[in-house]
Amino acid sequence: MLTRKDFLLGTAAAAGALAAPAVRAQAAVTLDVLHAYPSFARFFTPVAEEFMKANPGIRISFRQILPNYDELHQALLRGALTNQLPDVAFSGFNRLPELARTLSARNQILALDTLIADEGASWAAENFSPRMLALGKVDGRQYGMPFNASSPIAYYNPELVARAGFNPDQFPDSWEGVIALGAAIKRAVPQAMGVSYYINSFDSDWLWQALVQQGGGRMLSADGKSVAFGGEAGLAAVRLARRFVTECGMQLIGSDQNRQQFATGGTGIIFDSPARLAVITNLVGGRFPLRTAPFPITDKVNGGVPTGGNAAVIMATDPAKRRAAWEYVKFSAGPLAQKIAVEMTGYLPVNLKALAPEFLGRFYEQNPNARSAALQMDRSLPWEDYGANGPRIHRVQQELLTAIMRGDLAPEVGLARMVRETEALMRAA
Amino acid sequence: MAVAAASVPRAARRAAPDRRLALAGAAFAAPAALLLLTILLAPLVVLVLLSLTDYRLGAVAVRWVGLANYAEMFTDPVFRRAIRNTFLYVAFVLPAGVFGALAVAALVQARTRTRSFYEVIYFLPVTSTLVAMATVWQFLLHPTLGPVTPLIAGLGFGRLDLLNDPDLALATLAVIGLWQMLGFNMVLFLAGLSAIPRELYEAAALDGAAGAIDRFLRVTWPMLSPTTMFVTITTTISAFKVFDTVVVLTRGGPLGATDTLLYVLYLEGFHYFRTGYAAAMTVIVLVFLCALSLLQARLIERRVHYA
Repeated sequence: MLTRKDFLLGTAAAAGALAAPAVRAQAAVTLDVLHAYPSFARFFTPVAEEFMKANPGIRISFRQILPNYDELHQALLRGALTNQLPDVAFSGFNRLPELARTLSARNQILALDTLIADEGASWAAENFSPRMLALGKVDGRQYGMPFNASSPIAYYNPELVARAGFNPDQFPDSWEGVIALGAAIKRAVPQAMGVSYYINSFDSDWLWQALVQQGGGRMLSADGKSVAFGGEAGLAAVRLARRFVTECGMQLIGSDQNRQQFATGGTGIIFDSPARLAVITNLVGGRFPLRTAPFPITDKVNGGVPTGGNAAVIMATDPAKRRAAWEYVKFSAGPLAQKIAVEMTGYLPVNLKALAPEFLGRFYEQNPNARSAALQMDRSLPWEDYGANGPRIHRVQQELLTAIMRGDLAPEVGLARMVRETEALMRAA
Repeated sequence: MAVAAASVPRAARRAAPDRRLALAGAAFAAPAALLLLTILLAPLVVLVLLSLTDYRLGAVAVRWVGLANYAEMFTDPVFRRAIRNTFLYVAFVLPAGVFGALAVAALVQARTRTRSFYEVIYFLPVTSTLVAMATVWQFLLHPTLGPVTPLIAGLGFGRLDLLNDPDLALATLAVIGLWQMLGFNMVLFLAGLSAIPRELYEAAALDGAAGAIDRFLRVTWPMLSPTTMFVTITTTISAFKVFDTVVVLTRGGPLGATDTLLYVLYLEGFHYFRTGYAAAMTVIVLVFLCALSLLQARLIERRVHYA
């Protein structure tokens, strides 16, 4: 017989059973995360899975992935207007300053400095090189935590190098050496391009900045307010650009066309992002034993390479979400997440501990082509940002660079015009 | 006095159902009117207002700048280059797209057994997505890997780089644009052609119209004029809006030779985030399109023969 007491107990138990998951769900935090490039899902997803395994109270939910950093930036600006920002986003380094300045004026982004300080005095130094952390700094504050980083490397065809009479195991470490090798390839195989350095069609000014920075130059003064590439290093860079055409037989074709031609064995040396290692290796297939080398650096003291990639920024406002977001960001920049991301792409690890044998040490032994990027990790310089008019400035510079490479403008004249027009556009911003 | 007093209520009594009818009519039309207002007219007003500000996407402060955006546009070399390129593009694609499609349609219609074969062949480019075709075009036009450059060199024109030579890039895009739209226009003309009654040709023959050219000029061309007008206006608008080929094949380069109005507008609005300036450009493009369509409609309408 069902007594009143049984009934009461029963309903209480049922209510308890119903309530228990609700309580647990309340304790769990779900983070809304946004990143660019659909192909990146293949490492964002496993990193998130590892993170959720280690932090059962936090759930990562990815928003619709955006095609590139520009569209991500645009989506974040729109989200800021409508108060629909994700909790964590991975912003391209070149867009980070603009994003941080816009969002900090609206109080919609979290500076990470105190969170880093709370981790203990030695934490930052043990995990990150100061140059790597500096990539996430804007106006002296740490708004972004680097996640993916890359600097340009050389991809070369050892068969063409050998046919030119050079040793494929010793890639030149100076630009005079690259030009000499490129010219020799052009002489040995007249229908091939010796070197292609496609700043005339690359989709950002990254490769152009690399050519200036390796010579010890910078695009901007230290305060970021005036143009600094008008000097010796800039002039050396535009002269090199013209010599790729005149001496190494470079043709001014599109960047995809360049990659196609390299992959079919029609180009000796190209320079591109290590993040494309997997793509270019696939394109080449088995046609030739593809090799990579670090980016040659003329100025061994001040020279460096601009760092592409992305940094995590926290936009959550709720304190519990902010704590969870910091855990996720910290994990992403940690050695395990870096191992996953680096092995899938060819990016260089942002975390110093990731180089240990139990993480990436073995991988680099087995994949020497991926090592070139890691070898120049201490050469990382920021991908310099001209401010709000950056993309416009890149377009103007690319046209002038094309004119210089075609021989329409003398290098000195073209460089002077680049400086003038860049300054005018920076003032107009 | 009494008559007047009596007639007023009668008039009011008659007006009441009229007003109720009018109100009911308005109530039925209201949802559609509201939709028109919210999805077409209100955005247009916002666009015009935005074009008078210096708004940047995400900015906190907005300044009223009056007509400064419009003034800047006409001194902006990139915008002027884009206008020049767009008009050159339209000037090639419009006549070639209309008369080319008419010629193809006339030829295809004359086939009996192979007609559907040719229809499918010419219509294929319309169904292909350009973004997917971009890789193919890039390869075909590749100066060292593709087959087009050696073909042209074999014809004695020298080694041309069709996508990367500033003098040729716009013409190359125009040919690709033509390839894309010819089949669609052909289908429209075929529909127009099959609607022409056969008796007209017999009557023309009786009246002494002997050759094919005579028949075309006396019967086909006048009877096709409504189709021609429609094809001309839609071709103008779609040629004016050339965008996808530019984005996937040249990105406005080399040296800005393929900068077109919509591409520059896209750069300003979605890459440079200069929303105010991009809004002003959009207004100008709208004005151009409306003016061109009105002008054509006026000019052609006079000669159109509606059967």
